[in-house]
Amino acid sequence: MVQAVLYHGEPNGASLTVLAALAECGLAIPCKPIDLLTGARHVLPGIAEPIALDLGIEGEGPVLVVDGEAMTESVFLAQYLDEMAGGCGLQPSDPYARWDMLMWCRQITERLSPAAALLGNLAHSQGVIAAIPAGAFAALMASIVSDDLRTRWQTLHDGAIDAGQVADSQAKVDQAVQRCEDKLADGREWLMGGFSIADLVTCSWLGGMEQVRPEAFASAPLTRAWLARVAARPCFLAARAMASTSEPSRTWAPGPEINRWG
Amino acid sequence: MAQVTLYHWEPNANSGKPMLALMEKGVPFTSHYIDMLQFDQHKSEYLAINPQGTIPAMTHSGPWGDRVLTESTAIMEYVDSAFPGPQLMPADARGRWRVRWWMKFMDQWLGPSFSMIGWSVFVGPRVRERDPGELAAAIERIPLPERRIAWRKAISGDFSESEMAESRRRVALGIAKLEEELGKRNYVGSDAYSLADINVFNSTYSLPLSQPDLASKEKTPNIMRWLKRVYEREAVRRTWAMGKTDISARYNLVMEGIV
Repeated sequence: MVQAVLYHGEPNGASLTVLAALAECGLAIPCKPIDLLTGARHVLPGIAEPIALDLGIEGEGPVLVVDGEAMTESVFLAQYLDEMAGGCGLQPSDPYARWDMLMWCRQITERLSPAAALLGNLAHSQGVIAAIPAGAFAALMASIVSDDLRTRWQTLHDGAIDAGQVADSQAKVDQAVQRCEDKLADGREWLMGGFSIADLVTCSWLGGMEQVRPEAFASAPLTRAWLARVAARPCFLAARAMASTSEPSRTWAPGPEINRWG
Repeated sequence: MAQVTLYHWEPNANSGKPMLALMEKGVPFTSHYIDMLQFDQHKSEYLAINPQGTIPAMTHSGPWGDRVLTESTAIMEYVDSAFPGPQLMPADARGRWRVRWWMKFMDQWLGPSFSMIGWSVFVGPRVRERDPGELAAAIERIPLPERRIAWRKAISGDFSESEMAESRRRVALGIAKLEEELGKRNYVGSDAYSLADINVFNSTYSLPLSQPDLASKEKTPNIMRWLKRVYEREAVRRTWAMGKTDISARYNLVMEGIV
Protein backbone atom coordinates (compact mmCIF):
# COMPACT_ATOMS: atom_id res chain seq x y z
CA MET A 1 0.00 0.00 0.00
CA VAL A 2 1.52 3.31 -1.10
CA GLN A 3 1.69 5.97 1.60
CA ALA A 4 1.36 9.45 0.12
CA VAL A 5 0.79 12.94 1.50
CA LEU A 6 0.95 16.32 -0.24
CA TYR A 7 2.43 19.16 1.81
CA HIS A 8 1.49 22.49 0.28
CA GLY A 9 1.47 26.22 0.89
CA GLU A 10 -1.41 28.59 0.21
CA PRO A 11 -2.94 27.99 -3.25
CA ASN A 12 -0.69 30.31 -5.25
CA GLY A 13 2.33 29.70 -7.46
CA ALA A 14 3.72 26.16 -7.41
CA SER A 15 1.34 24.97 -4.68
CA LEU A 16 -1.67 26.12 -6.71
CA THR A 17 -0.50 24.20 -9.78
CA VAL A 18 -0.27 20.93 -7.88
CA LEU A 19 -3.44 21.37 -5.83
CA ALA A 20 -5.40 22.12 -9.01
CA ALA A 21 -3.82 19.15 -10.80
CA LEU A 22 -4.78 16.92 -7.90
CA ALA A 23 -8.37 18.18 -8.03
CA GLU A 24 -8.51 17.71 -11.81
CA CYS A 25 -7.22 14.14 -11.51
CA GLY A 26 -9.46 13.23 -8.60
CA LEU A 27 -6.85 11.17 -6.76
CA ALA A 28 -7.43 10.58 -3.05
CA ILE A 29 -4.12 11.88 -1.73
CA PRO A 30 -4.28 13.53 1.69
CA CYS A 31 -3.21 17.18 1.72
CA LYS A 32 -1.50 18.91 4.63
CA PRO A 33 -1.20 22.70 4.55
CA ILE A 34 2.08 24.10 5.87
CA ASP A 35 3.25 27.66 6.44
CA LEU A 36 6.07 28.11 3.96
CA LEU A 37 7.12 31.40 5.56
CA THR A 38 7.99 29.66 8.83
CA GLY A 39 10.24 27.19 7.02
CA ALA A 40 7.87 24.29 7.76
CA ARG A 41 8.81 22.69 4.44
CA HIS A 42 12.33 22.02 5.72
CA VAL A 43 11.34 20.04 8.80
CA LEU A 44 8.85 17.58 7.32
CA PRO A 45 8.60 14.23 9.08
CA GLY A 46 9.30 10.80 7.63
CA ILE A 47 11.54 11.76 4.70
CA ALA A 48 13.85 8.87 3.81
CA GLU A 49 14.90 10.15 0.40
CA PRO A 50 15.29 13.95 0.64
CA ILE A 51 17.36 15.06 -2.38
CA ALA A 52 14.45 16.56 -4.33
CA LEU A 53 13.38 18.49 -1.24
CA ASP A 54 16.90 19.57 -0.36
CA LEU A 55 18.08 20.58 -3.83
CA GLY A 56 14.87 21.29 -5.77
CA ILE A 57 15.01 24.08 -8.32
CA GLU A 58 11.61 25.54 -7.58
CA GLY A 59 12.28 26.94 -4.12
CA GLU A 60 9.46 26.81 -1.59
CA GLY A 61 7.06 24.68 -3.65
CA PRO A 62 4.82 21.80 -2.57
CA VAL A 63 6.28 18.45 -1.56
CA LEU A 64 4.58 15.16 -2.33
CA VAL A 65 5.93 12.44 -0.07
CA VAL A 66 5.41 8.93 -1.40
CA ASP A 67 6.74 6.03 0.67
CA GLY A 68 9.27 8.37 2.25
CA GLU A 69 10.53 9.83 -1.01
CA ALA A 70 10.17 13.62 -1.27
CA MET A 71 8.94 14.64 -4.71
CA THR A 72 9.10 18.27 -5.89
CA GLU A 73 8.79 20.52 -8.99
CA SER A 74 5.20 21.43 -9.70
CA VAL A 75 5.12 20.62 -13.42
CA PHE A 76 6.54 17.15 -12.83
CA LEU A 77 4.16 16.58 -9.92
CA ALA A 78 1.25 17.54 -12.17
CA GLN A 79 2.53 15.05 -14.78
CA TYR A 80 2.88 12.40 -12.06
CA LEU A 81 -0.68 12.95 -10.81
CA ASP A 82 -2.05 12.88 -14.37
CA GLU A 83 -0.23 9.62 -15.06
CA MET A 84 -1.21 8.03 -11.73
CA ALA A 85 -4.82 8.78 -12.62
CA GLY A 86 -4.36 6.92 -15.90
CA GLY A 87 -4.28 10.14 -17.90
CA CYS A 88 -6.87 12.70 -16.88
CA GLY A 89 -6.27 14.90 -19.92
CA LEU A 90 -3.69 17.31 -18.52
CA GLN A 91 -1.04 16.16 -21.04
CA PRO A 92 -1.60 15.77 -24.78
CA SER A 93 -1.08 12.20 -25.96
CA ASP A 94 0.42 13.27 -29.30
CA PRO A 95 4.24 13.47 -28.91
CA TYR A 96 4.57 16.77 -30.79
CA ALA A 97 1.74 18.42 -28.89
CA ARG A 98 3.31 17.19 -25.65
CA TRP A 99 6.71 18.57 -26.68
CA ASP A 100 5.01 21.89 -27.40
CA MET A 101 3.35 21.90 -23.99
CA LEU A 102 6.54 20.97 -22.16
CA MET A 103 8.44 23.71 -23.99
CA TRP A 104 5.80 26.21 -22.89
CA CYS A 105 5.96 24.98 -19.29
CA ARG A 106 9.75 25.21 -19.32
CA GLN A 107 9.57 28.82 -20.54
CA ILE A 108 7.19 29.57 -17.68
CA THR A 109 9.18 27.82 -14.94
CA GLU A 110 12.55 29.16 -16.12
CA ARG A 111 11.57 32.72 -16.94
CA LEU A 112 8.23 33.69 -15.40
CA SER A 113 8.34 31.75 -12.11
CA PRO A 114 11.58 33.27 -10.76
CA ALA A 115 10.44 36.73 -11.85
CA ALA A 116 6.95 36.41 -10.35
CA ALA A 117 8.36 34.97 -7.13
CA LEU A 118 10.79 37.88 -6.75
CA LEU A 119 8.14 40.53 -7.41
CA GLY A 120 5.48 38.74 -5.35
CA ASN A 121 7.81 38.34 -2.40
CA LEU A 122 8.87 41.97 -2.59
CA ALA A 123 5.26 43.12 -2.64
CA HIS A 124 3.79 40.81 -0.03
CA SER A 125 6.25 38.67 1.93
CA GLN A 126 9.44 40.61 2.46
CA GLY A 127 8.03 42.41 5.50
CA VAL A 128 6.88 39.12 7.02
CA ILE A 129 10.30 37.54 6.50
CA ALA A 130 12.13 40.60 7.82
CA ALA A 131 9.96 40.52 10.97
CA ILE A 132 10.88 36.95 11.91
CA PRO A 133 12.69 37.17 15.28
CA ALA A 134 16.44 36.71 15.00
CA GLY A 135 16.55 33.38 16.83
CA ALA A 136 13.72 31.90 14.79
CA PHE A 137 15.25 33.16 11.57
CA ALA A 138 18.62 31.62 12.43
CA ALA A 139 16.91 28.29 13.13
CA LEU A 140 15.02 28.55 9.84
CA MET A 141 18.23 29.26 7.95
CA ALA A 142 19.93 26.32 9.60
CA SER A 143 17.14 23.98 8.48
CA ILE A 144 17.58 24.82 4.78
CA VAL A 145 19.99 22.44 3.07
CA SER A 146 20.37 24.32 -0.22
CA ASP A 147 22.93 27.12 -0.01
CA ASP A 148 21.38 29.01 -2.90
CA LEU A 149 17.81 28.81 -1.54
CA ARG A 150 19.11 29.95 1.84
CA THR A 151 20.73 32.91 0.10
CA ARG A 152 17.40 33.88 -1.47
CA TRP A 153 15.78 33.86 1.99
CA GLN A 154 18.61 35.92 3.42
CA THR A 155 18.47 38.44 0.59
CA LEU A 156 14.75 38.99 1.15
CA HIS A 157 15.27 39.19 4.91
CA ASP A 158 17.96 41.83 4.47
CA GLY A 159 16.09 43.72 1.75
CA ALA A 160 19.23 43.48 -0.36
CA ILE A 161 17.45 43.10 -3.68
CA ASP A 162 19.35 44.00 -6.82
CA ALA A 163 17.50 46.72 -8.75
CA GLY A 164 18.60 45.18 -12.03
CA GLN A 165 16.94 41.90 -11.09
CA VAL A 166 13.70 43.71 -10.28
CA ALA A 167 13.69 45.45 -13.66
CA ASP A 168 14.54 42.18 -15.39
CA SER A 169 11.74 40.41 -13.52
CA GLN A 170 9.23 43.07 -14.52
CA ALA A 171 10.31 42.64 -18.13
CA LYS A 172 9.91 38.87 -17.88
CA VAL A 173 6.37 39.21 -16.50
CA ASP A 174 5.55 41.59 -19.36
CA GLN A 175 7.01 39.09 -21.85
CA ALA A 176 5.02 36.20 -20.35
CA VAL A 177 1.79 38.17 -20.68
CA GLN A 178 2.65 39.00 -24.28
CA ARG A 179 3.36 35.34 -25.00
CA CYS A 180 -0.07 34.44 -23.65
CA GLU A 181 -1.70 37.22 -25.64
CA ASP A 182 -0.01 35.99 -28.83
CA LYS A 183 -0.96 32.40 -28.14
CA LEU A 184 -4.60 33.28 -27.51
CA ALA A 185 -4.86 35.57 -30.54
CA ASP A 186 -6.42 32.87 -32.73
CA GLY A 187 -9.40 32.66 -30.41
CA ARG A 188 -8.44 29.45 -28.66
CA GLU A 189 -9.93 28.78 -25.25
CA TRP A 190 -6.83 27.28 -23.62
CA LEU A 191 -3.13 27.89 -24.24
CA MET A 192 -2.36 24.60 -25.97
CA GLY A 193 -5.80 24.09 -27.45
CA GLY A 194 -7.10 21.64 -24.87
CA PHE A 195 -6.92 22.42 -21.15
CA SER A 196 -3.51 21.24 -19.90
CA ILE A 197 -0.71 21.62 -17.38
CA ALA A 198 0.36 24.69 -19.38
CA ASP A 199 -2.82 26.48 -18.25
CA LEU A 200 -2.34 25.36 -14.65
CA VAL A 201 1.27 26.41 -14.32
CA THR A 202 0.94 29.69 -16.23
CA CYS A 203 -2.17 30.83 -14.37
CA SER A 204 -0.69 29.80 -11.02
CA TRP A 205 2.30 32.11 -11.46
CA LEU A 206 0.71 34.87 -13.54
CA GLY A 207 -2.56 35.27 -11.62
CA GLY A 208 -0.96 37.07 -8.69
CA MET A 209 0.91 39.40 -11.03
CA GLU A 210 -2.32 41.20 -11.97
CA GLN A 211 -2.05 43.04 -8.63
CA VAL A 212 1.73 43.37 -8.55
CA ARG A 213 2.38 44.35 -12.17
CA PRO A 214 -0.99 45.64 -13.49
CA GLU A 215 0.61 47.54 -16.36
CA ALA A 216 1.60 44.22 -17.94
CA PHE A 217 -2.07 43.35 -18.34
CA ALA A 218 -3.35 46.76 -19.44
CA SER A 219 -3.34 45.86 -23.12
CA ALA A 220 -3.89 42.14 -22.74
CA PRO A 221 -7.64 41.51 -22.80
CA LEU A 222 -7.27 37.96 -24.10
CA THR A 223 -4.94 37.04 -21.25
CA ARG A 224 -7.20 38.60 -18.63
CA ALA A 225 -10.18 36.69 -20.01
CA TRP A 226 -8.19 33.45 -20.12
CA LEU A 227 -7.02 33.94 -16.50
CA ALA A 228 -10.68 34.34 -15.51
CA ARG A 229 -11.60 31.17 -17.41
CA VAL A 230 -8.89 29.14 -15.70
CA ALA A 231 -9.83 30.57 -12.30
CA ALA A 232 -13.42 29.45 -12.89
CA ARG A 233 -12.47 25.85 -13.62
CA PRO A 234 -13.71 23.45 -10.93
CA CYS A 235 -10.17 22.25 -10.21
CA PHE A 236 -9.00 25.81 -9.55
CA LEU A 237 -12.03 26.57 -7.44
CA ALA A 238 -11.35 23.42 -5.41
CA ALA A 239 -7.69 24.41 -4.97
CA ARG A 240 -8.54 27.98 -4.00
CA ALA A 241 -11.10 26.68 -1.50
CA MET A 242 -8.18 25.19 0.44
CA ALA A 243 -6.83 28.66 1.22
CA SER A 244 -6.63 29.79 4.81
CA THR A 245 -6.45 33.46 3.81
CA SER A 246 -8.95 35.56 1.89
CA GLU A 247 -6.39 36.51 -0.79
CA PRO A 248 -4.05 33.57 -1.42
CA SER A 249 -2.69 35.21 -4.58
CA ARG A 250 -0.89 37.64 -2.23
CA THR A 251 0.91 34.77 -0.51
CA TRP A 252 4.46 34.20 -1.69
CA ALA A 253 7.60 32.48 -0.43
CA PRO A 254 11.14 32.42 -1.85
CA GLY A 255 10.91 30.83 -5.27
CA PRO A 256 13.16 29.59 -8.05
CA GLU A 257 16.59 31.02 -8.70
CA ILE A 258 16.98 33.67 -11.36
CA ASN A 259 19.04 32.25 -14.22
CA ARG A 260 22.71 32.75 -13.32
CA TRP A 261 24.37 31.70 -16.57
CA GLY A 262 23.32 31.78 -20.20
CA MET B 1 8.38 8.61 -45.62
CA ALA B 2 9.26 10.45 -42.43
CA GLN B 3 12.70 11.98 -42.27
CA VAL B 4 14.72 13.22 -39.31
CA THR B 5 17.52 15.76 -39.55
CA LEU B 6 19.56 16.68 -36.51
CA TYR B 7 21.52 19.91 -36.34
CA HIS B 8 24.22 19.39 -33.74
CA TRP B 9 27.76 20.11 -32.62
CA GLU B 10 30.00 17.53 -30.96
CA PRO B 11 28.54 14.48 -29.15
CA ASN B 12 28.82 16.49 -25.97
CA ALA B 13 26.61 18.42 -23.52
CA ASN B 14 23.35 19.47 -25.19
CA SER B 15 24.12 18.29 -28.73
CA GLY B 16 24.99 14.82 -27.51
CA LYS B 17 21.57 14.27 -25.91
CA PRO B 18 19.37 13.89 -29.01
CA MET B 19 22.24 12.19 -30.88
CA LEU B 20 22.36 9.46 -28.25
CA ALA B 21 18.59 9.20 -27.91
CA LEU B 22 18.17 8.71 -31.66
CA MET B 23 20.98 6.16 -31.71
CA GLU B 24 19.47 4.21 -28.79
CA LYS B 25 16.07 4.14 -30.48
CA GLY B 26 17.60 3.08 -33.79
CA VAL B 27 16.12 6.06 -35.63
CA PRO B 28 17.99 6.87 -38.85
CA PHE B 29 18.79 10.56 -39.13
CA THR B 30 20.65 12.99 -41.33
CA SER B 31 23.46 14.60 -39.38
CA HIS B 32 24.05 18.30 -39.98
CA TYR B 33 27.19 19.37 -38.12
CA ILE B 34 27.06 22.90 -36.72
CA ASP B 35 30.50 24.14 -35.74
CA MET B 36 29.83 26.11 -32.58
CA LEU B 37 33.37 27.48 -32.48
CA GLN B 38 32.84 28.97 -35.95
CA PHE B 39 29.48 30.44 -34.81
CA ASP B 40 27.61 28.38 -37.43
CA GLN B 41 24.59 28.44 -35.11
CA HIS B 42 24.18 32.18 -35.59
CA LYS B 43 24.44 32.18 -39.38
CA SER B 44 21.39 32.83 -41.50
CA GLU B 45 21.23 29.26 -42.85
CA TYR B 46 20.77 27.89 -39.35
CA LEU B 47 18.63 30.75 -38.05
CA ALA B 48 16.18 29.82 -40.79
CA ILE B 49 15.79 26.48 -38.96
CA ASN B 50 15.96 27.76 -35.39
CA PRO B 51 15.58 31.54 -35.10
CA GLN B 52 16.84 31.43 -31.50
CA GLY B 53 20.26 30.24 -32.71
CA THR B 54 20.61 27.51 -30.09
CA ILE B 55 21.85 24.01 -30.79
CA PRO B 56 20.72 21.31 -31.14
CA ALA B 57 17.58 21.45 -33.27
CA MET B 58 15.79 18.61 -34.99
CA THR B 59 13.40 18.54 -37.91
CA HIS B 60 10.95 15.70 -38.36
CA SER B 61 9.29 15.80 -41.76
CA GLY B 62 6.38 13.66 -42.89
CA PRO B 63 2.74 13.80 -43.95
CA TRP B 64 2.22 16.42 -41.21
CA GLY B 65 4.76 18.78 -42.81
CA ASP B 66 8.01 19.94 -41.22
CA ARG B 67 8.20 19.90 -37.46
CA VAL B 68 11.07 21.84 -35.90
CA LEU B 69 12.00 20.83 -32.38
CA THR B 70 14.40 22.62 -30.05
CA GLU B 71 15.76 22.23 -26.49
CA SER B 72 17.80 19.09 -26.08
CA THR B 73 15.96 17.44 -23.18
CA ALA B 74 12.54 18.12 -24.70
CA ILE B 75 13.77 16.73 -28.06
CA MET B 76 14.83 13.54 -26.28
CA GLU B 77 11.38 13.13 -24.73
CA TYR B 78 9.85 13.61 -28.17
CA VAL B 79 12.20 11.06 -29.73
CA ASP B 80 11.38 8.51 -27.05
CA SER B 81 7.62 8.83 -27.47
CA ALA B 82 7.41 9.41 -31.25
CA PHE B 83 9.50 6.46 -32.43
CA PRO B 84 9.45 2.72 -31.82
CA GLY B 85 12.43 1.05 -30.19
CA PRO B 86 13.59 0.53 -26.63
CA GLN B 87 11.73 2.63 -24.05
CA LEU B 88 13.97 5.30 -22.56
CA MET B 89 11.57 6.32 -19.79
CA PRO B 90 10.65 4.10 -16.82
CA ALA B 91 7.36 2.23 -16.99
CA ASP B 92 6.15 3.54 -13.63
CA ALA B 93 5.00 7.11 -12.95
CA ARG B 94 7.30 7.68 -9.97
CA GLY B 95 10.28 6.49 -11.99
CA ARG B 96 9.34 8.94 -14.75
CA TRP B 97 9.03 11.74 -12.18
CA ARG B 98 12.51 10.88 -10.87
CA VAL B 99 14.01 10.89 -14.36
CA ARG B 100 12.43 14.30 -15.08
CA TRP B 101 13.67 15.64 -11.74
CA TRP B 102 17.26 14.62 -12.42
CA MET B 103 17.15 16.06 -15.92
CA LYS B 104 15.93 19.41 -14.59
CA PHE B 105 18.54 19.32 -11.83
CA MET B 106 21.18 18.83 -14.51
CA ASP B 107 19.75 21.27 -17.06
CA GLN B 108 19.13 24.15 -14.69
CA TRP B 109 21.38 23.74 -11.67
CA LEU B 110 24.38 21.51 -12.18
CA GLY B 111 24.80 21.70 -15.98
CA PRO B 112 25.23 25.48 -16.13
CA SER B 113 28.06 25.19 -13.59
CA PHE B 114 29.82 22.51 -15.65
CA SER B 115 29.23 24.76 -18.63
CA MET B 116 30.65 27.88 -17.00
CA ILE B 117 33.84 26.03 -16.11
CA GLY B 118 34.02 24.43 -19.56
CA TRP B 119 33.53 27.72 -21.34
CA SER B 120 36.12 29.47 -19.22
CA VAL B 121 38.82 26.85 -19.86
CA PHE B 122 37.88 25.55 -23.32
CA VAL B 123 35.45 27.57 -25.44
CA GLY B 124 36.69 31.03 -24.44
CA PRO B 125 40.40 30.40 -25.10
CA ARG B 126 39.59 28.64 -28.40
CA VAL B 127 37.64 31.54 -29.88
CA ARG B 128 39.64 34.32 -28.21
CA GLU B 129 42.46 33.82 -30.69
CA ARG B 130 40.26 35.09 -33.51
CA ASP B 131 40.09 38.63 -34.91
CA PRO B 132 38.35 40.92 -32.34
CA GLY B 133 36.27 42.66 -35.01
CA GLU B 134 35.08 39.35 -36.37
CA LEU B 135 34.18 38.19 -32.85
CA ALA B 136 32.27 41.38 -32.08
CA ALA B 137 30.25 40.98 -35.28
CA ALA B 138 29.59 37.34 -34.46
CA ILE B 139 28.28 38.25 -31.01
CA GLU B 140 25.99 40.90 -32.47
CA ARG B 141 24.33 38.21 -34.61
CA ILE B 142 23.29 36.16 -31.55
CA PRO B 143 19.49 36.40 -31.26
CA LEU B 144 19.02 35.71 -27.54
CA PRO B 145 20.28 38.45 -25.19
CA GLU B 146 21.21 35.89 -22.50
CA ARG B 147 23.40 34.06 -24.98
CA ARG B 148 25.04 37.31 -26.10
CA ILE B 149 26.01 37.96 -22.47
CA ALA B 150 27.23 34.38 -22.08
CA TRP B 151 29.40 34.56 -25.19
CA ARG B 152 30.85 37.95 -24.23
CA LYS B 153 31.81 36.56 -20.85
CA ALA B 154 33.34 33.43 -22.33
CA ILE B 155 35.35 35.32 -24.93
CA SER B 156 36.64 37.97 -22.58
CA GLY B 157 37.20 35.52 -19.73
CA ASP B 158 35.01 37.80 -17.66
CA PHE B 159 33.82 35.33 -15.03
CA SER B 160 34.12 36.73 -11.52
CA GLU B 161 35.88 34.71 -8.86
CA SER B 162 32.62 34.43 -6.91
CA GLU B 163 30.80 33.08 -9.98
CA MET B 164 33.50 30.50 -10.58
CA ALA B 165 33.61 29.57 -6.89
CA GLU B 166 29.84 29.02 -6.89
CA SER B 167 30.13 26.85 -10.00
CA ARG B 168 32.90 24.81 -8.39
CA ARG B 169 30.77 24.40 -5.25
CA ARG B 170 27.84 23.15 -7.30
CA VAL B 171 29.99 20.75 -9.30
CA ALA B 172 31.44 19.24 -6.12
CA LEU B 173 28.01 18.92 -4.50
CA GLY B 174 26.41 17.60 -7.68
CA ILE B 175 29.08 14.91 -8.07
CA ALA B 176 28.58 13.88 -4.44
CA LYS B 177 24.80 13.65 -4.91
CA LEU B 178 25.20 11.69 -8.14
CA GLU B 179 27.50 9.27 -6.34
CA GLU B 180 24.82 8.79 -3.66
CA GLU B 181 22.11 8.28 -6.26
CA LEU B 182 24.11 5.66 -8.15
CA GLY B 183 24.63 3.82 -4.89
CA LYS B 184 20.85 3.35 -4.67
CA ARG B 185 20.07 2.44 -8.25
CA ASN B 186 22.00 1.09 -11.23
CA TYR B 187 21.15 4.14 -13.32
CA VAL B 188 20.16 7.75 -12.65
CA GLY B 189 16.73 7.73 -11.04
CA SER B 190 15.94 4.24 -12.25
CA ASP B 191 17.20 0.66 -12.40
CA ALA B 192 17.04 0.76 -16.20
CA TYR B 193 18.94 2.97 -18.65
CA SER B 194 16.88 6.08 -19.42
CA LEU B 195 16.93 9.63 -20.78
CA ALA B 196 18.32 10.77 -17.40
CA ASP B 197 21.45 8.70 -18.01
CA ILE B 198 21.87 10.19 -21.47
CA ASN B 199 21.34 13.67 -20.07
CA VAL B 200 23.73 13.35 -17.14
CA PHE B 201 26.32 11.34 -19.09
CA ASN B 202 26.72 14.10 -21.67
CA SER B 203 27.97 16.48 -18.99
CA THR B 204 29.88 13.99 -16.84
CA TYR B 205 31.56 11.59 -19.28
CA SER B 206 34.96 13.20 -18.80
CA LEU B 207 34.84 13.66 -15.02
CA PRO B 208 37.83 11.35 -14.43
CA LEU B 209 39.87 13.71 -16.63
CA SER B 210 38.32 17.09 -15.84
CA GLN B 211 37.68 16.67 -12.09
CA PRO B 212 40.15 14.02 -10.91
CA ASP B 213 40.12 15.46 -7.39
CA LEU B 214 36.37 14.92 -7.15
CA ALA B 215 35.72 11.86 -9.32
CA SER B 216 37.89 8.74 -9.41
CA LYS B 217 37.75 5.02 -8.85
CA GLU B 218 38.62 5.61 -5.21
CA LYS B 219 36.41 8.65 -4.50
CA THR B 220 33.31 7.88 -6.61
CA PRO B 221 33.20 4.14 -7.37
CA ASN B 222 29.47 4.21 -8.15
CA ILE B 223 29.91 6.94 -10.77
CA MET B 224 32.85 5.09 -12.29
CA ARG B 225 30.91 1.82 -12.56
CA TRP B 226 27.99 3.70 -14.12
CA LEU B 227 30.24 5.56 -16.58
CA LYS B 228 31.74 2.25 -17.66
CA ARG B 229 28.30 0.73 -18.22
CA VAL B 230 27.24 3.72 -20.31
CA TYR B 231 30.52 3.92 -22.22
CA GLU B 232 30.16 0.30 -23.24
CA ARG B 233 26.79 0.84 -24.91
CA GLU B 234 26.86 0.38 -28.67
CA ALA B 235 24.87 3.58 -29.21
CA VAL B 236 27.46 5.56 -27.26
CA ARG B 237 30.35 4.17 -29.33
CA ARG B 238 28.58 4.94 -32.60
CA THR B 239 27.60 8.44 -31.46
CA TRP B 240 31.11 9.28 -30.33
CA ALA B 241 32.45 8.15 -33.69
CA MET B 242 30.53 11.10 -35.18
CA GLY B 243 32.70 13.62 -33.34
CA LYS B 244 35.04 15.81 -35.36
CA THR B 245 37.24 17.35 -32.68
CA ASP B 246 39.59 16.00 -30.06
CA ILE B 247 36.64 15.72 -27.66
CA SER B 248 36.08 12.27 -29.15
CA ALA B 249 39.69 11.31 -28.52
CA ARG B 250 38.92 11.52 -24.82
CA TYR B 251 36.92 8.31 -25.13
CA ASN B 252 39.95 6.05 -24.86
CA LEU B 253 41.60 8.22 -22.23
CA VAL B 254 38.55 8.10 -20.01
CA MET B 255 38.10 4.36 -20.47
CA GLU B 256 41.71 3.84 -19.42
CA GLY B 257 40.96 5.76 -16.25
CA ILE B 258 37.80 3.82 -15.49
CA VAL B 259 38.65 0.22 -16.23
